[in-house]
Amino acid sequence: MSLSTADTQPSAEQTINATSKANDAARLPGARTHYSDFFSDIVKRMKPSPIHSLLHLEHHIPKPISLLAGKPNPAMFPFAGSMSWTSRDPHNPEKIETLTMDEDLLKLGLNYSETPGLLQMRQFLEEMQEDEHGRLKEEEGWRVTVGPGSQDLISKAVTALLNPGDSMLVESPTYAGIMPMFRQLQPEFICIPSDAHGLLTDKLREVLKGWPSDKPRPKLIYTIPYGSNPSGFSATLERRTELLKLAYEHNFLILEDDPYYNLYYGSSPRYPSYFSLEKSLGLLDTAPDTPKDLLRVNTGGRVIRFDSFSKVLSAGLRLGFVTGPAPVLDAIDKQTSAASLEPSTLTQTIALTILRSWGREGYKAHTTNVAAFYRSKRDTCERLLAQYLGKDGLATWDTPEAGMFMWFKLHLHPGMDVESDTEDFIRRKAVEKGVLALPGSMFLPEGGKSAYVRLSFSVVPENVLEEAMRRLRALVIEARGEA
Amino acid sequence: MAIAIQNEPNAQGQPSSSAVSLNAVPILPAEFYLEHFLSEGAKAKKHNPIRFLFKYESTPGLISLLAGKPNPRTFPMSSVSLTCADPWDHDKELSLTVDPDLLSQGLQYSVESGIPAFKDWLVGLQEREHGRSMEDEGWKIAVGTGSQDMLSKAFAAIVGPGDVVLIERPTYPGAITALQGLGAIMVDVQTNEEGLRPEHLQSIMENWPSDRPKPKALYTVPYGGNPAGTTIPERRRKEILALARKYNFLIIEDDPYYHLYYGEQERPASYFSLEKQLASATEPVGRVVRLDSLSKILSAGMRIGTATGPASIIEVIDRHTSSANSQTATLTQAMALTIFQNWGYDGFKAHTKFVSAFYREKRNQLENALRKHLTGLADWVPPCAGMFIWLKLHLNTAATSSSAQNDPEHGDSNELIRTKALEKGILLLPGTVCFSSGEVTPYVRMSFSLVDEAQMNEAMRRLREVILEARGGA
Repeated sequence: MSLSTADTQPSAEQTINATSKANDAARLPGARTHYSDFFSDIVKRMKPSPIHSLLHLEHHIPKPISLLAGKPNPAMFPFAGSMSWTSRDPHNPEKIETLTMDEDLLKLGLNYSETPGLLQMRQFLEEMQEDEHGRLKEEEGWRVTVGPGSQDLISKAVTALLNPGDSMLVESPTYAGIMPMFRQLQPEFICIPSDAHGLLTDKLREVLKGWPSDKPRPKLIYTIPYGSNPSGFSATLERRTELLKLAYEHNFLILEDDPYYNLYYGSSPRYPSYFSLEKSLGLLDTAPDTPKDLLRVNTGGRVIRFDSFSKVLSAGLRLGFVTGPAPVLDAIDKQTSAASLEPSTLTQTIALTILRSWGREGYKAHTTNVAAFYRSKRDTCERLLAQYLGKDGLATWDTPEAGMFMWFKLHLHPGMDVESDTEDFIRRKAVEKGVLALPGSMFLPEGGKSAYVRLSFSVVPENVLEEAMRRLRALVIEARGEA
Repeated sequence: MAIAIQNEPNAQGQPSSSAVSLNAVPILPAEFYLEHFLSEGAKAKKHNPIRFLFKYESTPGLISLLAGKPNPRTFPMSSVSLTCADPWDHDKELSLTVDPDLLSQGLQYSVESGIPAFKDWLVGLQEREHGRSMEDEGWKIAVGTGSQDMLSKAFAAIVGPGDVVLIERPTYPGAITALQGLGAIMVDVQTNEEGLRPEHLQSIMENWPSDRPKPKALYTVPYGGNPAGTTIPERRRKEILALARKYNFLIIEDDPYYHLYYGEQERPASYFSLEKQLASATEPVGRVVRLDSLSKILSAGMRIGTATGPASIIEVIDRHTSSANSQTATLTQAMALTIFQNWGYDGFKAHTKFVSAFYREKRNQLENALRKHLTGLADWVPPCAGMFIWLKLHLNTAATSSSAQNDPEHGDSNELIRTKALEKGILLLPGTVCFSSGEVTPYVRMSFSLVDEAQMNEAMRRLREVILEARGGA
């Protein structure tokens, strides 16, 4: 792969012009040749924060006396000297060590910092992403922005990209918690079904092939590649490769929501992320017939990746981060500066203290421990599921290989040619018997019936889970009697 | 067990308060917000359907296999300790440890409106500060990622494209950016040294064209206004509240400098307090959405702010949070609560007194430097709250007599700040960014929170040179 440098690159503007000329003849309605062509009206309307646009002048040389920003005086923050906590040694989880936050870091942590997150934190994360996904930040035009949880960043990314009526591809079933936010933007959802190997890329290819020529093409796909919520499945390498190729052929962005990346406990080696594959497949610089500006190596590619610390450090820290093309992240930051200014600096400095003390080795060791913990939880859950619902064919499922969910199909009408619908069963009958789970229909972006149930096995102890299974078994048998 | 879980009712189906109440303060009914105030987006807003079910988890005997809550055993942190100042004697340090139960809440997901114990403490604070009772008055509180988070969500609850908001002229630039994003139409209300001018507001409303949508809300920073530094007196607050009732708009009271009041006179009551003091059968409470911040008094890096106001609005904010960012960090809430519980309400008050006295001293230092170097070259009104002085530069010798706030003849501080002032080594905020239309203005905003006395003197000496050169060159 040849990496171009800034010196030999034409300017972005020149590239756009050249590309638009080349594409003029074959230009489809809504053809997009630059990231800004993907942006929503909302984000185009928003101006960058006027104060933030002046802050760089504080670093003017010689350094001016600045009365610019309304930063409070840190002497008025009552945290006098120090903050410390105990923390598990990742190499020896029985060992508890005391961590004390560096005094200078605490000072930074108590005051305002920067919209995309504390510089030191971003540097740590960018290096981590380079190693983990085999990407190079400087050459490839991507960066990291930290947010108060990855859901916040996903909301802002789709808000930056979708106008009402725009088409968006979404994996089905998908994370129910994000759907109200998507619906608020009033896009047209094109739902792509999935199975235990991930998204059905053949179906997606068909959809894209049959796309009406006068209709603007979909702007993005939303997918959870590891331990998908609700199904717990992970996309195979083959499906990942196929989806990436389609994204380059049909010019859409991939929103890779990956909170369970570190919770992979499958028996085969883990597959690379979309963010990683995009480069290793050579798509960044060899994709034919795609608009020049988007494929140029130093514009960052088509994958926007979301990571979360909620499952591995603490959900209460509310720390997630997005990795992707700089222009898209700028559009996210623009919203943050008007919406909440920045993520908590204090929680960033807490996380950074832990991560620095562990090093990336230690972080790896910790996440391996966490994944092993959830694997054993899954094993218990699957054993009980087989014992109470599997043995008489009351339920069927595929084994999840990541995450904290079991997604199983109930057979409420044996011998009849009808799909069960778990809606009433879960929302009414199961609750009456004292079991709270989620009906599969909740995870269908297009709505409709589902025979599936989602169960979370992360927190519940074995004996309680067994009791829940016993109750569910009785209920299914009862329901089959009624049918 | 006779419960069944329903899908979430939409905003229309959920009257959460009623105007009919025997002994309590009259309250605007939920339908009233639906009819007059909630934005189209707010009406369509749905809860995160999973988080909506969290409340059922506490039902006795129920086994929850519901949420994707991580197992707390996988979280590496335990036993968080911090040192913090004794509010009665800031030279003394207190060593505090976050209570284990509270810490476990602080490390895990929580309900979107904040850790319940933290909210309870804050409700108590609002009751004490503003004389409002949580019982029977139809208000709620929500904790957000800084008050800007609550402000932008309060705007979104009320304002959609084409909706009108009244704003102060000048106003906080962060509010302008948020309103631009929503496609709001901003209408300026004039201010003077005492803040918003009620008579101008009245004339705007009296002459409002019948074919234009009426303003839905007034946005105001009542203490130590950003940028103008003004604190609006109680007399004017009452007039503005009366206008809000007469012309049917809400008041969004953005009050991050409330605890930074250091005036000589007794502090004026908040709008949130006044609406109760002045309530009657025909003038119910429920028009004020109040935003508070811990950023100036506890830590800006914690990002904790709150919205307090009518349940109908706060519930929309909660729905917004639940689908957009789930919740605010719980760990920082647990830490703040640990400090507040140790201090108690009186300790909290003692600490804020200490903080406001510090800023008064800073203001005095900057005013001394201003008088020394800029008498006759600039005008200002001494602030009695907050951390800003809003300074009018006399850039043009011929035009200084006019009383108009902005007039191109008075010169342009923007160009000056970005070029000559920077060359001389001083950086201020050009006033133009505080006007919704971005007009030319001779004003600048000076923040006196961080610079020491010697730097202030040097900065004002340099500013003097900049102004004199500009006048010479004009």
